[in-house]
Amino acid sequence: MSLVQEIDYGTPASKSADTVTLTIDGNPVTVPAGTSIMRAAMDAGIQVPKLCATDSVDAFGSCRLCLVEIAGRAGTPASCTTPVGPGMVVSTQTERLKQVRKGVMELYISDHPLDCLTCAANGDCELQDMAGAVGLRDVRYGYKGENHLEQAKDESNPYFTFDASKCIVCSRCVRACEEVQGTFALTIQGRGFDSKVSAGGWGDDFLSSECVSCGACVQACPTATLSEKSLIEIGQPEHSVVTTCAYCGVGCSFKAEMRGEELVRMVPYKDGKANRGHSCVKGRFAWGYANHRERILKPMIRESIDQPWREVSWQVAIDRVASEFKRLQGTYGRLSVGGITSSRCTNEETYLVQKLIRGGFGNNNVDTCARVCHSPTGYGLSTAFGTSAGTQDFDSVEHSDVILVIGANPTDAHPVFASRMKKRLRQGARLIVVDPRRTDIVRMPHVEADYHLPLRPGTNAAILNALAHVIVTEGLTDEAFVRNYCDRDAFEHWAAFVSEPQNSPEVVGPMAGVSADDIRGAARLYATGGNGAIYYGLGVTEHSQGTTTVMAIANLAMVTGNLGKQGVGVNPLRGQNNVQGACDMGSFPHELSGYRHISDDATRTMFEKMWGRPLDHEPGLRIPNMFDAAIEGTFKGIYVQGEDILQSDPNTAHVIKALASMECVVVQDLFLNETANYAHVFLPGSTFLEKDGTFTNAERRINRVRKVMTPKNGMADWEITLAIAKAMGFEMPYSHPSEIMDEIARLTPTFAGVSYELLDRVGSVQWPCNEKAPLGTPVMHIGGFARGKGNFMITEYVPTDERTGPRFPLLLTTGRILSQYNVGAQTRRTGNVVWHDEDVLEIHPQDAEMRGIRDGDWVKIDSRAGGTALHARITDRVAPGVVYTTFHHPDTQANVVTTDYSDWATNCPEYKVTAVQVSPSNGPSEWQRGYNEQADRSRRIAPVAAE
Amino acid sequence: MSADNRLVIMANQMGRFFTPQRGVDSVAAIANHIGRFWDPRMRAAIVAHLAAGGAGLDEPVREAVGRLKEAKEAAR
Amino acid sequence: MTKIFVPCDAAARAVGADRVALAIQQEAARRGVTLDLVRNGSRGLFWLEPMIEVETPAGRIAYGPVTPSDVSALFDGGLLDGGVHALRIGRPEDVPFLKRQTRLTFARCGIVDPLSLNDYRAHGGYRGLARARELGPVGTVQEMTASGLRGRGGAGFPTGIKWKTVADTSADRKYIVCNGDEGDSGTYADRMLLEGDPFVLIEGMTIAGYAVGATKGYIYVRSEYPDAIRTMERAIVLAEAAGLLGAEAGFDLEVRVGAGAYVCGEETSLLESLEGKRGQVRAKPPLPAHKGLFGKPTVINNLVTLATVPAVMADGAKAYADLGMGRSRGTMPIQIAGNSKHGGLFEAAFGLTLGEIVDDIGGGTASGRPVRAVQVGGPLGAYFSRALFDTPFDYESFAARDGLIGHGGVVVFDDTVDMARQARFALEFCAIESCGKCTPCRIGSVRGTETMDKVIAGDRREANLALVEDLCQTLKFGSLCALGGFTPYPVMSAIRHFPEDFGRPRLAAAAE
Repeated sequence: MSLVQEIDYGTPASKSADTVTLTIDGNPVTVPAGTSIMRAAMDAGIQVPKLCATDSVDAFGSCRLCLVEIAGRAGTPASCTTPVGPGMVVSTQTERLKQVRKGVMELYISDHPLDCLTCAANGDCELQDMAGAVGLRDVRYGYKGENHLEQAKDESNPYFTFDASKCIVCSRCVRACEEVQGTFALTIQGRGFDSKVSAGGWGDDFLSSECVSCGACVQACPTATLSEKSLIEIGQPEHSVVTTCAYCGVGCSFKAEMRGEELVRMVPYKDGKANRGHSCVKGRFAWGYANHRERILKPMIRESIDQPWREVSWQVAIDRVASEFKRLQGTYGRLSVGGITSSRCTNEETYLVQKLIRGGFGNNNVDTCARVCHSPTGYGLSTAFGTSAGTQDFDSVEHSDVILVIGANPTDAHPVFASRMKKRLRQGARLIVVDPRRTDIVRMPHVEADYHLPLRPGTNAAILNALAHVIVTEGLTDEAFVRNYCDRDAFEHWAAFVSEPQNSPEVVGPMAGVSADDIRGAARLYATGGNGAIYYGLGVTEHSQGTTTVMAIANLAMVTGNLGKQGVGVNPLRGQNNVQGACDMGSFPHELSGYRHISDDATRTMFEKMWGRPLDHEPGLRIPNMFDAAIEGTFKGIYVQGEDILQSDPNTAHVIKALASMECVVVQDLFLNETANYAHVFLPGSTFLEKDGTFTNAERRINRVRKVMTPKNGMADWEITLAIAKAMGFEMPYSHPSEIMDEIARLTPTFAGVSYELLDRVGSVQWPCNEKAPLGTPVMHIGGFARGKGNFMITEYVPTDERTGPRFPLLLTTGRILSQYNVGAQTRRTGNVVWHDEDVLEIHPQDAEMRGIRDGDWVKIDSRAGGTALHARITDRVAPGVVYTTFHHPDTQANVVTTDYSDWATNCPEYKVTAVQVSPSNGPSEWQRGYNEQADRSRRIAPVAAE
Repeated sequence: MSADNRLVIMANQMGRFFTPQRGVDSVAAIANHIGRFWDPRMRAAIVAHLAAGGAGLDEPVREAVGRLKEAKEAAR
Repeated sequence: MTKIFVPCDAAARAVGADRVALAIQQEAARRGVTLDLVRNGSRGLFWLEPMIEVETPAGRIAYGPVTPSDVSALFDGGLLDGGVHALRIGRPEDVPFLKRQTRLTFARCGIVDPLSLNDYRAHGGYRGLARARELGPVGTVQEMTASGLRGRGGAGFPTGIKWKTVADTSADRKYIVCNGDEGDSGTYADRMLLEGDPFVLIEGMTIAGYAVGATKGYIYVRSEYPDAIRTMERAIVLAEAAGLLGAEAGFDLEVRVGAGAYVCGEETSLLESLEGKRGQVRAKPPLPAHKGLFGKPTVINNLVTLATVPAVMADGAKAYADLGMGRSRGTMPIQIAGNSKHGGLFEAAFGLTLGEIVDDIGGGTASGRPVRAVQVGGPLGAYFSRALFDTPFDYESFAARDGLIGHGGVVVFDDTVDMARQARFALEFCAIESCGKCTPCRIGSVRGTETMDKVIAGDRREANLALVEDLCQTLKFGSLCALGGFTPYPVMSAIRHFPEDFGRPRLAAAAE
């Protein structure tokens, strides 16, 4: 094993199709036009010395080491900023260049500490490398001149240190912050010799600045100036493994840089096709939970939730699960047990859990946490296009001219993709944001939405119908696209429907709280502004009309011809790392992998043959149905892998009641999560660092997850499921997750070509990957839809039954924040808490004023479902009448407040609209206190008896 | 809300989506959706609810649940 | 009514022109005389400022330098009729310093009321634009190329070629940017034009916009020029009111004020500053002509260049190109400063020798001591010794002697100057004014100053001098822009031409 070395070409690749041939040091080189001489030289295997150039940012030309000579041209141009020209004859090594480079290095070193031996970057320092490369032997200026050696360190960021004394002011960090991340938090302060890198303005440090801790600056730094604290503590890594981040649905590739079994740092991988070398604070830094002291490493059981946990062997725990489930099925029937697969786990693990349930339990009571996030995407897009997935790859955004973001907050929830989107916006693409809140993307440095439609929560479908109304009635339809690729009758019905006056902006606007002119302007822009791409998130799906809205989005893309090419499409931004994969793997109760209905005899028979088990042809229970059945008394046991249903599902009181009604709750997780408070068996899970498998991201990209350390709990998650199956008499013959994928490929036409061998060879593929597309499918529906003709469904706006009234006059909507992730089980156990250590309630100044609430006050928030208390933050990011909070902290339990209402087609909960009242409070509510007491009691672990 | 009540709400929600569709048999679409996505216990419960008077069920939904019942009987 | 001219030029005001103007008005009032007092620009004869002029049938008669206490006596002596007085200079055009000049760019400066469009028109204003419109944009660019006009900021790039590049680059928007960040020591040509003939710049930029298809122009003026900024802004308002700027004219102009950084006179830094960013040099390519202000094709020219455009267009390329020598065509406003007897602006065709400029025109030093050194082209220009006084004033001849003409500043030093300290000053200047982007300039300027201090202190003199010479090579070939790249000019010329000030043997007299 060794460190994965990536070549730094110095400047970004040129995308030109034309080529230029030149001679560098006597070697003929042919490169795309617009390539820098530096990069062309690298192509020819010639390394020109450099410090300020790195291929993640545009050439800057400040270090003056990369100078070259060009025949027939005066002077010594920088090879990073000079593009190649046809017939150019370039010399990279001449006597004059040697002298200049040595002179420049002599200057650098005259203002640099001479502590290489004890420096964190020792062995991985470009300054050190360059001093060697130019043959510097002496600093004739001495070391007593003016210098920066006494500059203070900034250690405010929890993950990295800024040591100004080591800074060479190459601006790579500043440029990475601007060009790669798009935050513009860093700048160069002062001039001349006083120039120094500064986060924020005067008096700011990294923590107080706008810095979002994405790590791009640390990645770009050629010296030890910006260094990971873990690297400073541990030292240089000795080997690395490429793997995939386990946080959001972007699916960033990272190099896990290791020293033995110890993780030194996670470094974004340039060849990662989703992230292209970028990262966010979570994937880059927030992996400390893997070693957190609260992580449970031994299986535990108990007879009732009033008892403390008892640590037992794996054998005892597995046997307990098997015997309990057998007992329950014996007593209450075959359908009385089920399980939940996790969008946090690998495709292989997810596949195994549904296989265990269908084949081992003999029923279809399997569901996945995608139920509560993107289930409407699957149903909606499948109905419209024939495939339950987004249509593009992330690279597509580089070709977009108009970007419509609806119900998504990419800079918080999908930060790495957001950076790529922002880059395109800075290049001039136009932006429309449909969101009740003024999210960051609406206005941030060098990005401003042309239209922000701050609609009332719950009116997405109406607004989309109004956008369609404008397009159809103003003659902006892409007639050729509709004629060639869409179902004509469906289109005619739909066009007549959206043209009706009740769908006009003038009617919808006042109802949704949006200016009719803005709706018209946005519609015209989307329809006529070039390549139009729609990106959406849970603000679309988590509604009573979630599926309707997904269909309305699909309609909008079809009517404008924005499908089947680069730069366009319908792009769901998936919440968790493997939402797409969990859905693909047959986690839903009604369908097998590849979205084939369980009632389809041919498909089912194929699985029965492969698995050697008969399968039930009837759909099973969805998660909310399981809760209802539990309370009714017909559902008694559940196996929950990697999901905290108590904290994440709506109407917490209802979930608690359901869990408390069951006789055997098995939780497999890293920590004693909230669900575990009601569990009887706890199976310690392994982290993504401890297992092999694959995740499928929001662009259908299947990425490899590679084991970089031994599972601390002794068993990988897939092995645990295997053991349960075996104990229940269902043998599954796998010795490695790759064999599970081979089985998936045999049973699933869209995965037919997928294998670990292929993934190791090409990095990643986007399904469908089969005979027709051996290397996968970046953009879908080129030249026609998967289902044949695109299907326009009528998307009549049906208001939710959840209504405001005198008792509950405000609308609550919920979301995520950059530094925390979903229920926070991982991120709350990392340094990320410095940015967000509690959920707060955002409330508009008017609503706060009416209630006598000041910024920072404790407030009570109540709905028809329940109430909790948290601190208030007064802000006009939310409109009057709307309040907003996050759901990262169990101390708040925001889902106590959310209700049972759900999407009509898929039961995806309506998290985004709850009628509430907000009132001043003295502190946490009675309910919170009672909950915390129960949690403390339930988490007790009995001391191990002396032998 | 009670389990029955919840099934009624869910069924009516479907009704409100499928009824405005043009050029399709809305009642069949509702019945099909329930048939494909509801667990047999839930289907049995809604059929029983209809048999008990079907309180709260919107008209096309009542018809769809009726068809579910017929289909079930036919399958026997 | 008699017209009296008292300059409003900042140089004249600095030596009391305002008080003289007030005294004249008071004196006239006391005597019951009505007169028309015009605040004109300066003719550029600074040793005679405040130089007032009175309009008489025999032409304008000048007096100077006038103090308020002279005013009463001047009236007594018949000032209003051009009467005799000890300060009477006579017709300014007859003063040899003016008589020897060829005033094209400065044809109106000091003559007209700077804010009178009628005056401007009466003295040939807007003839250039009219002719440009006759020739059309392509013809105008061709005319500029044929004239041989080169950038008067110092780089000497042919203006017509720059314009053609911008004209040939298609874009939804293009800009004309005037570089009025006149920061070179001993230079004031930009300021004099802004204060004395602002409409010539408006006309020049309008022609440029017409020629390349730009609709918006910016005039970037250093903050140290408050009078110039005020006059220019008023002139823009007047031009707008007359329909010469604005929607009707198809061209808008705006004055932007710098914040005191010398490096913002470097064109790419200036563009950064105009965009509201730190004044930091951009790497070229891309050229501003392709990607300039806000990423759009931009003509960025020195103020004198743009102010010369109307004269070139009005009288034709040939008339302009007939002047000058070699590849340096037309005229150059030479600004004589420092320890000079006759400091002032001298516009002449290229080709005068440095000796003629310093000794004949400038009249030697103000101190009366021998001239020892002359720095030409601003703080980054080379020092010339008397041995090099035969150098003709043009771009190529100065380059051939490791010097540059820059923006035309000539600073004279007498024999009390210590050239080692001047060399140190050049390095210190670079350190103070460095934008901090490139390493040679950012660190090298500081190390150079420190090392020169060692040389001056006699610390391992020869080794440290050799180190300075090495550093100059690094600065010259390694720097990103002319600030670091030209700092070796003053340093190396001081060492080369005045070795005795650095503890090296004096050059053989034969070299002179």
